[in-house]
Amino acid sequence: MLDILVIIFMVMGLFFFFGTTVGIVRFPDFYTRTHAAGKGDTLSVMLMLFGLALYNLHHLSPATLLVSGKIVIICVVVFIASPTATHAIMDAGYEAKVRHWSRPGAPKDPQDNSGEKQ
Amino acid sequence: MTWDASLLWQFDLLILPMVIICAIAALSFKDLVSCAVISGAFSFLMCLLWTEMLAVDVAFTEAAVGAGVSTVLLLGTALHVKRKSKD
Amino acid sequence: MKKTALLIIAVLGILLLRAAEDLPFWGDPQSPASVHLSDYYLEESYEETSVPNIVTSVLADYRGYDTMFETVVIFCAGITVLIVLRRTHRRRAKVISPRPERPGADIILQTAARLLVPMMQLFALYVVAHGHHSPGGGFQGGVILGSSLILLALSYDIQMALHRFKEKLVLLFSAGGVLLYAAIGLACLFLGRNFLAYGAWAALLGISEPEAHSHGMLGVEIGVAITVLCIMFSLYIDLASGGDLDEGL
Repeated sequence: MLDILVIIFMVMGLFFFFGTTVGIVRFPDFYTRTHAAGKGDTLSVMLMLFGLALYNLHHLSPATLLVSGKIVIICVVVFIASPTATHAIMDAGYEAKVRHWSRPGAPKDPQDNSGEKQ
Repeated sequence: MTWDASLLWQFDLLILPMVIICAIAALSFKDLVSCAVISGAFSFLMCLLWTEMLAVDVAFTEAAVGAGVSTVLLLGTALHVKRKSKD
Repeated sequence: MKKTALLIIAVLGILLLRAAEDLPFWGDPQSPASVHLSDYYLEESYEETSVPNIVTSVLADYRGYDTMFETVVIFCAGITVLIVLRRTHRRRAKVISPRPERPGADIILQTAARLLVPMMQLFALYVVAHGHHSPGGGFQGGVILGSSLILLALSYDIQMALHRFKEKLVLLFSAGGVLLYAAIGLACLFLGRNFLAYGAWAALLGISEPEAHSHGMLGVEIGVAITVLCIMFSLYIDLASGGDLDEGL
């Protein structure tokens, strides 16, 4: 039973990792790529760490509970730090006036060059 | 803690090419800030390599010093000197 | 010029690869490095020092003199950067562009930093104190403590971090860590043993000799951690602000 749960978590984590990779390769510009990397990375790392924490509980004892608790604490730290890092990278790109992508036929935004608002 | 030694060369095969790519990239970029970030990635890969060789203390030091603090110090220095490298 | 450099590097690389063929295999018990001393450490170090992590016992006890001067090297590096970069009177022309004037834009970073800094510091203290049983020790814990202060200085600005931890205190503590290390060693000298032979503390603390070794190592690691913390922070504030400590990155 526990094995099935672990497998579900791990496969979901791998799936979101795959989605992240496809997003980084396929998305057109800096902002969307960073968005894919930040969102997918955080979710998949947390899913896989949670799967590992469950896998560790096969032999239930204080020692394994302690290790699982540590892994859950890593989850919390990743949940705080990873989106913040993504936000910081995105904000730095916005400050440096990286141009965002728009559809080739779309009407030109007058404020496009200054990188102000889409 | 036991370690399945049969997995060692697969990890080597995964990590070592990335280490070489990072080393060449860190030397070949003109932008010093990119070089600093890539040398941070290089340190992290070396940390994985130390962990795989069961030198966990060294790996911990590499992760804290190499990938953590020295990247920040290199970035702080690179922003103050001329940012583009000549060669 | 570049072709000559490439040629030299290629020749040296081939020579090094040929030389690497003679190196012993990974984890080879017959290699010269692990024939003479490793057995002794593996068998005797737990009885002598009651520290399960052999790396820590070798680093802080058997090779304690070495580690003390490694700490001194870190101290000297920090002081050298301070001497070269720190300037108080003359303001230099700014190369770096000033940080953008967007009030409220950094609130996410600052909140996350406020959440993360206590966790990092707690973890660093755990690393320092638990170095006897798990990987870690003074250097790693000190670096993590220093990087928590650096995170504070990055997400707010250097003035705010310096307001929490004054520059005078930073320099005082960076010398104090090395002095704490040396004092623990010197106390052993005055108690009638060799320099850094922590067994001398056993009678004074009323514990057995291996436990005295363990406690002495803990004190030494704390000294290393204090020095590394202060030197890392001092390196960052000098390098990132160019020496005038006003705002930094």
